Amino acid sequence: MARQKSLSTTAISPNDLASRTLILDNGAHTIKAGFSSHLSSTPISTTACHVIPNCIARSTRDRRTYIGPELTTCADFGDLAYRRPVEKGYVVNWEGEKAIWERGFLANAANAANNDESGLGCDPAETNLILTEAPNAPISLQRNADEMVFEEFNFGAYYRTIAPALNAYAPSPFPSTTASPAGIPLECMLLIDAGHSHTTITPLYHGRPLHPAIRRLEIGGKTLTNRLKDLISRTFDVHREDHLVEEIKEDVCYVSPSFTRDLERTWKGGRYDGREVDSSVVVDYVLPDYEHIKRGFYRPHDTDVMNLRNRALGIGTETGRREHVVTLGNERFTVPELLFTPSDIGMRQAGLCGTVLQSLDALPEGLRQAYLANVVVVGGTSLLPGFVERLESELRAAVDEATVIRVARAESPVKNVWMGGARLAADEAALRAVMITRQEWAENGEGWVRRRFVGKKGR
Amino acid sequence: MATGPLRFRTPHIEELPIAQSRQSAGFAWVAVSTAQDDPAKNWGTTNRKRARASLGGQTEQQKEALSARVQRETERKIKELNSDNSRDVVIDIARKPGQSTGGAFKAGKTTGTKKILASGKTFAHYLDDEEAEIARTGRRDGDADVPAAAQRASKTPLARRKPRADSSASHSPAPSVAPMAPPPIPRLQTTDSSAAPIPLDGFEDDDEEEDDKDRVPRMPTAAEMEALLNAPPLTYNQARSAPPPAGMPPPRLFCETCGYWGRVRCMKCGAMTCSVVCKDEHDQSRCLKMYA
Repeated sequence: MARQKSLSTTAISPNDLASRTLILDNGAHTIKAGFSSHLSSTPISTTACHVIPNCIARSTRDRRTYIGPELTTCADFGDLAYRRPVEKGYVVNWEGEKAIWERGFLANAANAANNDESGLGCDPAETNLILTEAPNAPISLQRNADEMVFEEFNFGAYYRTIAPALNAYAPSPFPSTTASPAGIPLECMLLIDAGHSHTTITPLYHGRPLHPAIRRLEIGGKTLTNRLKDLISRTFDVHREDHLVEEIKEDVCYVSPSFTRDLERTWKGGRYDGREVDSSVVVDYVLPDYEHIKRGFYRPHDTDVMNLRNRALGIGTETGRREHVVTLGNERFTVPELLFTPSDIGMRQAGLCGTVLQSLDALPEGLRQAYLANVVVVGGTSLLPGFVERLESELRAAVDEATVIRVARAESPVKNVWMGGARLAADEAALRAVMITRQEWAENGEGWVRRRFVGKKGR
Repeated sequence: MATGPLRFRTPHIEELPIAQSRQSAGFAWVAVSTAQDDPAKNWGTTNRKRARASLGGQTEQQKEALSARVQRETERKIKELNSDNSRDVVIDIARKPGQSTGGAFKAGKTTGTKKILASGKTFAHYLDDEEAEIARTGRRDGDADVPAAAQRASKTPLARRKPRADSSASHSPAPSVAPMAPPPIPRLQTTDSSAAPIPLDGFEDDDEEEDDKDRVPRMPTAAEMEALLNAPPLTYNQARSAPPPAGMPPPRLFCETCGYWGRVRCMKCGAMTCSVVCKDEHDQSRCLKMYA
């Protein structure tokens, strides 16, 4: 039977919208979760956002399984086997995801104690949800997500969006742009989301993505970590140490502005052509053993081989502990180089700069300058030192001289999507325009809901 | 013509036809060495490089075989790099303590969610399903209807496809739905009545209209922006980044031992090393030892 209300309105009646909104940036590596309310007027800060590891980890040493937020209680990260419910940016394994969500923030009698500490407990029926996913999801995965949210978790109202789109609502990282109030998206933004599974390039217009121009480069933090595992395993086998290699990558890797020059500096030379290794680049990384050394650290390379042996035996180190050291030279910048030159491992995709140009080619000519002047970089992998500078110099070399190029990284690349979602949720009008309630979902079916989420306002 | 008894292995003997001898019903020794030959067995006795270069080149088939194998290897390596779980990890999710309703709660509240929770499909399954769906019926979602026969689900990224001359995405999707009825209309009644079938890859056509050769390209009009904004999202494979244009330099190769530029290739296993020192190290520990 025809219901006029649900078809023509873009707003929901007041009593359908709960007071609090849970914003879930559901990433492959971590979930960024936090509350925001359109009724309160306190400014939103990133402290309200909690970062929960989105994985289920089994430690063979403790013989314990850590689900989601429990990972912070783990003392021994050695030999930790991970299983991630989010594959390639989309939730594939809902069983695992449900377990993590429940531990993380759904109020549950048994977990009340846990939830009180983080302040994230909520009752789904009383909360709106903003959920993010990666762009270009297969339809059945979108359908599954909608069904799970409404039927299983029983959220009252919900908005599912692609993660890059929310960034338009976050404060602009460019110092010259005037700050806009919450709920008003920035006009033009070319968003580069360097995430765990892949890197996505999304042009946004007033917060809405331009779908034909979204491109995806299949190199992400995960690829870099695995590549680093292979490279370190040439000297010391770390194939089973996911957590450790991730820490090494975050500590030590950087993007070099000139790859060939840095590679020359770290070469030890041929047989007749021995060279002094440049100690400013090569470092020694001390591996944690989770008893005395809880967290690895690095120091400049010590060329004396005797010292290496002594340290392993515990001679000459502070407190007499045994230090095992891995030397990292060109791995430091060869690994992040993959983002810019995927052909180094044989991947047949253009590098980051090339992918950006492909995305721009799919847009009308007149928009190129607008988007090149507003390139925003978010995502955990963008925290690598030198990333933004290298991207800017490559774009500069590839594009006409007269075009203005501005590239900036958001202040908090990991939490930026969440910030955008929080600011969107803080503005009542914007929130009403996008939320879908359970009632509407039940009436109109999942196809309609899916189209609404993509942004088709009309039929 | 063949000479006397051969004293050493010479797999590459080819009789070059001379003009006079063409009439003679002759035969020529032609050794067909496939790319599958174990390179370790005859390293040093053949000069593969010279053979490849001079013997009229390799046959197409040999070239294909070689590159297909190399390609498969690299694709396997890349898939491994992009995999989440380095080994097949089976982790049981422990039951929450104090669960009152036991089994029913865990399985999911409705039949739909039970199925979703219990399904063991991986992302690759979903992707294949989606591609099969697109190949079978025009487009997913009832968004737009394309004559199914014309399209084959293509894995070519959008950037690589040749632009089509059909209509652009400016027509609003799902024109088939009557204003009052709820959306999922069976596809059958819409195939012929849709105003403009939206092909899978006709999206670029918007910009082709504006591609003036002006010094300052003009901004698109509001209608064009609306069309862009309303265009349906791409499928997973379409959105992938395309290979770099063919003019780019060939992929760089690195030393297996130390990571510097690779300059010399191991005869037995084909791995690159940078110098004699690294090559020695490679021979001792990393070369395929079974040939030792």
